Amino acid sequence: MSSSMKWKGLAALSALAISTSLSPAALADGKFDGVTLRIATWGGSNKAAIEESIVPRFEALGGKIEFVTGSPQANFAKLIAARGRAPFDVMEILDAQLPDFAQTDYLAKIDLSKVPNTKYLEPWSYNEMGMASWLTQETICYNTEKFAELGIPAPKTYRDLAIPELKGRLSIPDITSGGGLANFAAISIAAGGDLQNVKPGIDLIRDMNVLKFWSRGGETVTQFQTGDIYAAVVHAGWCVRAKNAGNPVQTVHPVIKDGIVGVQKYGRLGIMKSSSNYEAALWYVNEFVGVENQFTLSTQTGVFPTNREVVARLGADPVLKQMLELDPEMLGKQLRIDYSEVNISDWVDQWTRAIVTN
Amino acid sequence: MTVRWDLLLIPSFLFTFILLAVSQFMFLEGSFYKDLGLGRTGDSLDLVNYIRVFTDGFYLTTLWITIKVSALATICTLLFSFPVAYVIARIRSSWGMILLSGIVVSTFITIVIKVFGIIIIFSADGWLNRFLMSTGITTEPYSIIGTQEGVVIGLMYFTLGFGVLTLYSVVQTIPTSLEEAAEIHGASRPRMFMRVILPLAMPGLVAGGLMVFNMCMGAFTSAALLGGGKVFTLPVLIQRTIMMEVKYSMAGTLAAVLLVAVILINVLSILLIRRMRTARGVLA
Repeated sequence: MSSSMKWKGLAALSALAISTSLSPAALADGKFDGVTLRIATWGGSNKAAIEESIVPRFEALGGKIEFVTGSPQANFAKLIAARGRAPFDVMEILDAQLPDFAQTDYLAKIDLSKVPNTKYLEPWSYNEMGMASWLTQETICYNTEKFAELGIPAPKTYRDLAIPELKGRLSIPDITSGGGLANFAAISIAAGGDLQNVKPGIDLIRDMNVLKFWSRGGETVTQFQTGDIYAAVVHAGWCVRAKNAGNPVQTVHPVIKDGIVGVQKYGRLGIMKSSSNYEAALWYVNEFVGVENQFTLSTQTGVFPTNREVVARLGADPVLKQMLELDPEMLGKQLRIDYSEVNISDWVDQWTRAIVTN
Repeated sequence: MTVRWDLLLIPSFLFTFILLAVSQFMFLEGSFYKDLGLGRTGDSLDLVNYIRVFTDGFYLTTLWITIKVSALATICTLLFSFPVAYVIARIRSSWGMILLSGIVVSTFITIVIKVFGIIIIFSADGWLNRFLMSTGITTEPYSIIGTQEGVVIGLMYFTLGFGVLTLYSVVQTIPTSLEEAAEIHGASRPRMFMRVILPLAMPGLVAGGLMVFNMCMGAFTSAALLGGGKVFTLPVLIQRTIMMEVKYSMAGTLAAVLLVAVILINVLSILLIRRMRTARGVLA
């Protein structure tokens, strides 16, 4: 081969290499080169599910995801302390925090045209300020064997927990925990109160003789394991995890009042106004509500998906089918709290003074 | 040329000043403004937070509970750690050092693990409750979660290692010759303890006791995990106020009250001990 032919061949190969590297697929590969996206969310199995379903795909695009783990309340406190200049780009927000966020100017508007997975979501669950990322079904999780030993029937509502046999054997969420407000509201309504009058709920909780007011749902899994509790007010996901840990537990969706059975709370993803990675944050939000992540998240943590496609697939999982309410008609009967009607500070104050045994 | 060794203090001073004093000052300053929630405060200086704390029975009770459980934990820690410290200090073989190393290592274990250990030991299906019930001592499992006793046990467990280490160095300063002299002159062991060891160890016991008390007053983890959302100490309430309710001014007020209470109790204790020693000197 002559020298000129060699050079021509090399030039052709180089051209091919360059054209390949500039193809749309390859361009997409480097879409987030050098971007570090910081996500404020829970640790544990929630983080593990995201690491499995989203992180590898973001890394394939050249970026890196870091987690700022903590409860939404703790992350909100960080946000306030930093006066909105958050040390994260995307944050998991609880429905109960929405009124607080409404008083601040910390969230960026989400460009919904860049979140095509909204086609799988219910209209109520998203807008420019946030995207519902999961739902929890707040339940009574009880140890079926212990209840049988004690000769007491499965509970139907919270009042059934205020019996002598369960004295010191119950764990319910502290009002400042993730599920605290939703369950407190549900207990109050079930006891005959409403969002403006929670005293019946406080009286019922005092009648329950609770062992511990949990601040992290994982505590109840340990307490079922150690035999300290026979029942807990907790979201179905923790009951799933308790069952997976070998405990003979089952969920009950409590009767709240006529026509309302079960309680929901939901989380939303918000993009911080201070984020310098807006495009990457949009990508993350879209992936989060996508089929793959929603399925992974639901099957691994027991939360309920916001993605319609995934709801239909959950019936194939025997544990989730047993623990979660999947019937669309019954889902429509579950209580969801409108926190714009709630004076949260007053609730916390009433709770602290009445429940604390100091 | 004179070597200015005192200049070596400057980095430590700056480090402490910036991290501790500045942040504490910010909270202290914030405590004098009305709390408007979500980290917002009023514009003008105001004592409303302090008035609320000192006129609201809930806050006063919480302060009292904090002092009570801390004092009880301090007494228990001293009662448990002094004999251990005494024995280790008097052992002449290498066992003394081995035991002391064990105590030091135990202080390295994170308090979360320690507290969970207690929770497991006292769990309904744990060996302790099984033993108590099988021997008929109790008819139902005893739980320490959500009780003041549980918080005291947790605080004591947290401070026990520090107590032993502090009192070990105190006992070491007491010459064994004094104990031998008392023994030769016919003093029984209890009398020797009361008349020789205890008086000589008293300054160290007071200092160690105050150190343990101060640690208990500021301890969060033991109180939070064992209090079970039913027993509140001031550190637990501060964490709740700042992290969950995002009320910085109120949290600053509670922190200031805690700090002042600790300082006052320390000063009063030292004054009381001095007065007792002076009185004893006069009597002698």
